[in-house]
Amino acid sequence: MAMASRALLLLGGATPTNHRRLLFTRGVATFSSSISLLHAKLDRVIIRCCSTSNSPSPSSSLEPPDVPRLAATARISLTPQEIEEFTPKIRQVVDWFGQLQDVELQTVEPALRADTDGDQLREDVPETFDNREALISSVPSYEEPFIKVPKVLNKESE
Amino acid sequence: MASLLCRGILMYPPLLNYAAFLRRKSHVFYCTMSTTEAQTATQGSQSTQIKISPHRKKKGLDNILKDYEAIIGIETHVQLSTLTKAFCCCLYNYGSQPNSNICPVCMGLPGALPVLNSKVIECAVKLGLALNCKLNLKSKFDRKQYFYPDLPKGYQISQFDVPIAYGGHIDLDLPVEFGGGHRRFGITRVHMEEDAGKLLHSGNGSYSQVDLNRAGVPLLEIVSEPDMRNGIEAAEYAAEIQRLVRYLGVSNGNMQEGSLRCDVNVSVRPIGQAKFGTKVEIKNLNSFSSVNRAIDFEIARQALLLSEGQDDQIVQETRLWEEGSQKTVTMRKKEGLSDYRYFPEPDLPGVTLTKDYVDSIRNCLPELPEVKRRRYEKMGLSMQDVLFLANDVNVAEFFDATIAKGADVKLAANWIMGDIAAYMKNEKLSIDEIKLTPQELAELIASIKRGTISGKIGKEILFELMAKGGTVKGMIEEKDLVQITDPAEIEKMVDKVLLDNPKQLEQYRGGKTKLQGFFAGQVMKASKGKANPGLLNKVLLEKLNATS
Ligand SMILES: [Zn+2]
Repeated sequence: MAMASRALLLLGGATPTNHRRLLFTRGVATFSSSISLLHAKLDRVIIRCCSTSNSPSPSSSLEPPDVPRLAATARISLTPQEIEEFTPKIRQVVDWFGQLQDVELQTVEPALRADTDGDQLREDVPETFDNREALISSVPSYEEPFIKVPKVLNKESE
Repeated sequence: MASLLCRGILMYPPLLNYAAFLRRKSHVFYCTMSTTEAQTATQGSQSTQIKISPHRKKKGLDNILKDYEAIIGIETHVQLSTLTKAFCCCLYNYGSQPNSNICPVCMGLPGALPVLNSKVIECAVKLGLALNCKLNLKSKFDRKQYFYPDLPKGYQISQFDVPIAYGGHIDLDLPVEFGGGHRRFGITRVHMEEDAGKLLHSGNGSYSQVDLNRAGVPLLEIVSEPDMRNGIEAAEYAAEIQRLVRYLGVSNGNMQEGSLRCDVNVSVRPIGQAKFGTKVEIKNLNSFSSVNRAIDFEIARQALLLSEGQDDQIVQETRLWEEGSQKTVTMRKKEGLSDYRYFPEPDLPGVTLTKDYVDSIRNCLPELPEVKRRRYEKMGLSMQDVLFLANDVNVAEFFDATIAKGADVKLAANWIMGDIAAYMKNEKLSIDEIKLTPQELAELIASIKRGTISGKIGKEILFELMAKGGTVKGMIEEKDLVQITDPAEIEKMVDKVLLDNPKQLEQYRGGKTKLQGFFAGQVMKASKGKANPGLLNKVLLEKLNATS
């Protein structure tokens, strides 16, 4: 399962709009019809769908996706048309990854990450990132000195 | 300074105690109000209305509370005082210009990879050991997914199923004015994670503002066992955590700045019932006294609902403590369990601790509050003194250094808790900001003890030493403050005072013996406060009662 979710995340990262960027673009009306946002939405729903921490199902196939629920947990509002459009696509992707469930893994050590030598730690020494201008200019909506985002009041977690 | 001022509940116990008493009373009053009034009072932001049936009206809240017990657990987030963030080299400074300390890593830009700050592990091991926890020599980071604008990556790097430390406990002493007593509360786990940015809701606008300076700042989350039973125990637990992180130097523990944040879980059940009540979470607790008051309010609210048979009005939810109205209000209902989709963080290697590393940290741990308190107790100090001195690590160090110079334990405690504490409070200074050194305090105490100076002069010198520094010896010489212990010299002064006040002398000898105080004052004044008081009174009495 972990393998599958990792792979799915990579898949997610490879799409034109990285899901990480969404935070700043989500909810902006001018983007809502753009194809990239659709990709991104699909992206996020797939990640939500497959990176589950629930115990893996005993059968070789994965649960069929409950798209409205996935969208809700991903904090995306989908139109009924979008749900209809996404459901088979997501099912297809999930089924495709479901094939991985058939691989015999009982005797294999989980490989969560690339193994590296050494402890890979750094010292607590400050360093200023010297191209702050570029960072700020890449923020879609910025009003000195804050990043502007759509108003959200109900926080899911700390 | 902050440490002393933040003492909060310990610092002004009588006042708070009184406030608590008043609150109790007002609850009782509240319950006995007519139903209409009670309903009006609970309207507004509170979604549930507490209806009071007639037969219950007379029964006070205290009476109701007797039949219920509260189960309280606390999650504490401690912001570490590292120079840099957890996974990038950005500097973190509270109060910096918004969005000034940011980089691709803490902004969650594609392709940026986290690298763990070694200091974070050090702090976690220190705190884990100090909380008597077992350590997982192999732990790992996990991603906790949720969407919120202050979390740029869309997930928080945290630890899920294998925390760095688990299964510990913390010992504390309840303040004397709250009845005292020793308590031990279990610690479920301590794990490492990163903070989110700050989200500010603009008053009128349709947007919110994000400051990412805090994004990626290292936190330790401490989860307690549900061992607390009332507000005071919970507030003291939080105060002990603050003390501990300050003793360890891992955090400044400042609640106002959000460096120490407490989320409290409260459930109430009838005494004797095995099943737990519905768990309600309270947030927005910015001081120990608000922890205390919010919990006691919440216990009362839940107990009242249960006693009215309105169990269904208690729902699993998050409530906010409102300082203004002194009550908790619904923030959000929990719709099913949160779905964070945890999975192992692929961008970070596992966290491995060697036995040598853990031992090296264990060997360098400072004396911890509990050990210090027990040591002070053995020295013969009262619990009140013990709690005061051990409360602030800097005060404790000052006290320890003073007695290491040979000062009398009780006298040193009295000076520190009396005049020195009062001066620090007035001047808003911490003990290491005053000019007085432990060496000179010890010298001052010794000078009074051996009679070189009077206690009164000692007090005067103390204030000069705290404000300007210098030495006791130097000040005694410079100002010619050595106590007058020569009977002949004192006799001379007494004679002069009696001669200058013939009328009072006549009254005294006529039976108005209360005037002795007047004469003593005059002689002391003439000696510029330097006369040995015992000797002065002895000589004075002899002269007054002598039949001339
Ligand atoms: Zn950074």
